[in-house]
Amino acid sequence: MGTTRMDRRLFLKAAGATAGAATTLQVGCLSYFKKGRSAAADNREVPTTCELCPNKCSAIAVVEKGVVKKLNPNPENPKSRDMLCARGNAAIKQVYDPDRLKQPMIRVGARGEGKWKAVSWDEAFDFAAKKLAEVKAKHGPEGTLWSSTEGFQEVFFKNLGLAFGSPNLVRHPTLCLASVNLAYSATFGTVPSFDLLNSKFVIMSGANRFESIITPDTMDLIGGVMERKAKLVYLDPRFTVTAAKADEWYPIKPGTDLAFILAMIHVIIKENRHSKDFVAAYTTGFDQLAEHVKPYTPEWAEKETEIPAKDIVRIAREFSDAAPRALYYAGRRSSWYQNDFQMRRAQAILNAIVGNWDQVGGMVPNAKLPKGEFLFMPWDEPKAPRVDEIDKHFPLAAKGDGVYLKLRENVLSGKPYPVKAWMVYKQDPMNAMPDQAKTLKMIEGMDFIGVIDVQMSDMAWYADVVFPESTYLERTDPVEVMAGIWPAVVYRQQVVKPIHDTKPNLEIVQGLARRLGLADYFDYTIEQWVEAEFKELPIPLAAEHMKKHGVWAASGQPSYGKTLTPDHRFVTKTGKIELFSERLQEAGADPLPVYSAPVPPPSDRFRLILGRVGYFTHANQTNNVWLNEHMKENDLWINPKPAERLGIRSGSIVQVTSSVGTVKLKARVTEEIRPDCVFMLHGFGKKSKMQSLVYNVGASDAVLLETAWDKVSGNAAFHETFVKVANA
Amino acid sequence: MAMKKRRYALVIDSRKCINCKACAVACKAENEVPIGNFRNWINEEHQGEYPKLRIDFEPEQCHHCEHPSCVRVCPTGASWQRKDGVVLVAEDDCIGCRYCMIACPYDARYFHEESGTVHKCTFCTHRIDGGVLPACVETCPSKVRVFGDLEDPASRIHELLSTRRHHVKEPQTGNGPQLYYLV
Ligand code: SF4
Ligand code: SF4
Ligand code: SF4
Repeated sequence: MGTTRMDRRLFLKAAGATAGAATTLQVGCLSYFKKGRSAAADNREVPTTCELCPNKCSAIAVVEKGVVKKLNPNPENPKSRDMLCARGNAAIKQVYDPDRLKQPMIRVGARGEGKWKAVSWDEAFDFAAKKLAEVKAKHGPEGTLWSSTEGFQEVFFKNLGLAFGSPNLVRHPTLCLASVNLAYSATFGTVPSFDLLNSKFVIMSGANRFESIITPDTMDLIGGVMERKAKLVYLDPRFTVTAAKADEWYPIKPGTDLAFILAMIHVIIKENRHSKDFVAAYTTGFDQLAEHVKPYTPEWAEKETEIPAKDIVRIAREFSDAAPRALYYAGRRSSWYQNDFQMRRAQAILNAIVGNWDQVGGMVPNAKLPKGEFLFMPWDEPKAPRVDEIDKHFPLAAKGDGVYLKLRENVLSGKPYPVKAWMVYKQDPMNAMPDQAKTLKMIEGMDFIGVIDVQMSDMAWYADVVFPESTYLERTDPVEVMAGIWPAVVYRQQVVKPIHDTKPNLEIVQGLARRLGLADYFDYTIEQWVEAEFKELPIPLAAEHMKKHGVWAASGQPSYGKTLTPDHRFVTKTGKIELFSERLQEAGADPLPVYSAPVPPPSDRFRLILGRVGYFTHANQTNNVWLNEHMKENDLWINPKPAERLGIRSGSIVQVTSSVGTVKLKARVTEEIRPDCVFMLHGFGKKSKMQSLVYNVGASDAVLLETAWDKVSGNAAFHETFVKVANA
Repeated sequence: MAMKKRRYALVIDSRKCINCKACAVACKAENEVPIGNFRNWINEEHQGEYPKLRIDFEPEQCHHCEHPSCVRVCPTGASWQRKDGVVLVAEDDCIGCRYCMIACPYDARYFHEESGTVHKCTFCTHRIDGGVLPACVETCPSKVRVFGDLEDPASRIHELLSTRRHHVKEPQTGNGPQLYYLV
């Protein structure tokens, strides 16, 4: 118990002999001392689970006199690899942020004017329930929209929307990774993990893994590239940190990754380098694929991608030589271009034909662990069809997640029916969705908007009522099973009592449910919910273990090759890995990825591209003072050649204009971007004055981005906007 | 109990650094470093012309020098060095004259406005004396820094320094810096 942690945290084998503290070091005890930090009785260490991003790393909170002082990584979680990133470390400032939402508030001025009245929870609940009931009376329950993003307590919010009778739940995937999920599911029947710890050759399109931190991928890849001599080939219009660490970086022409991949497949098949046994045993449609990629020669791809044909050939050879320890890495937040689904499909197909499926250093289907379920009273399925008409337009997309941009179009047009109330949990559609002016229009059209969040996001700023949620360090959440190559169970338990008049989401949901006549569906406590989940965990004394350790990892080595048996059926129509997909054909999509060239920007415009740095991923992190001090403002990256032409200098203010909006921000003239692109970081230029560090500082990409989406998955296409840049 | 001789040092594999700032934020929390001050930081060097480019990151903090010039210039003896090499400031004796800040060739010290004294990296003595790694070392996603005792032949840093090429920053200062950068 706690031994992993002891072994890995301790650096002195002999320390126990000289320092008494070391011998007593274990989870749940204060492990270190400090001048002014005595081992007083009220000092505690509480294992919990980080919530600053979706990775769910295990952390140990150090509490002194009721205040969270430090978050240390918990090495027992194999996924978080004994680290906490900058965001994870800065979670403390989320709790003690002076800008935090501290009590429920009801808008008194015009929407977005920033005039608020602090109210009691009863008032806030009564107000929201009345408004929701009014909309329901007039438009039916389908007249309400429920938006949320990934989180342990998201389930309660979604259930409230469903119990209320609305089919219109919409989640983040179509602003993020829907195209990857759908492409891998369409091919393999599941979305695998990528065994970067053991891979010898990795190709990445974008997926800037050293700045967009994904656990354990980021850590495994840096170890692979820097210590284990794995090779990384990286394609990105921008010289990111990942590009800087890669063995080869190609500033690919934006939107042409599919051409590169098709040419790789072409080379591999032409040179007979695919894994014949694997293809024969587990896949279907190889002959059609071989025929399909014939025209996609490296010479053709060179013209599309600007990557030399000889390099494409060489990379294809090296990749197939390294297989099965070779990967075309899928990445997340795959919402870039309108062909995104087919680009990810091509990656999946390329991976499949070299036989890296379920192999060490290849793609591995996720191992899962059982978890108990709390049985609550079921409700009737919502009757109305979804307002985004997902069945008609995106028959393959995940129904429960919805399709965000199509949904906004339909709500704006009032077709197929009006939606007049908008409940939002933990999401900021104002910054997460492209075309902020359109989102504002959607906001204007609402009779009611309620937002649940820990801080006054831009979305909350435009709400009618704001419900302050307790931060993760102040709450206990449902148990989460993290499927993966190294599956684990994580638990988030309350570290300190809420310091303001805030509530965990479940209690906010219950407060609303009571007034909406839905109390019976939410008649439980978080403790009961969690107890039920503990019950079926494959862990001896699960409740005790999880409270003491915060995490449980299945022991032993990952198992590879479980699906590689002759009778294994993949969860696809044919039961095989589908290189050619009839299901796609039936749904009106290309059964094999067909390339169409992206429209290039006109000569007086640039393609706007987006990305991340390691200390900000979500728009809600830029106002965290410990993160903000590393970058106070975003700027517009522009290559020196066009900058010179336009007379733009580093630090000068430029005006950036797209067809839907205009922003002003500082220019950064840098060699580290293609001359036909400009780049800006997400999360700045806030409208909410209660994001005081970033209010009106820099600019929001959402203002500039145009509405465009991938045809198959409905994923937003964030890199399809052209902008004009001029000195302001 | 016979006290073994120790010499704490850091070996830094800069190539693995991804400039994620986790070390800086962890130190901020661990040591209550004020906003705007840092005990550790990442040096960045950008070179080349599109598309032939290069970026190098280099984590830095107090070098816990063998012959610390900061200690030499301190008029009150507030800046001092432990037997294990860790250079510290005794707050009670510091008069805030800031000579040490000028004398430090690595610019590793800052003036703490509230206490009126000079602060710097302590190698997290409150942690290491309990056998726990310094905060910046522990939290790093790529495990760029390796902390250990040069006097311990079984330590990882000893092994790294005897098998890998390395250098120190500005050896000409004669300070004998104890951050070893792998090349
Ligand atoms: S990656 Fe960072 S922010 Fe995300 S869960 Fe882990 S520590 Fe938290
Ligand atoms: S050793 Fe401790 S005090 Fe020094 S930089 Fe690292 S975290 Fe900060
Ligand atoms: S935590 Fe590690 S990788 Fe991140 S900036 Fe610090 S040294 Fe570099």
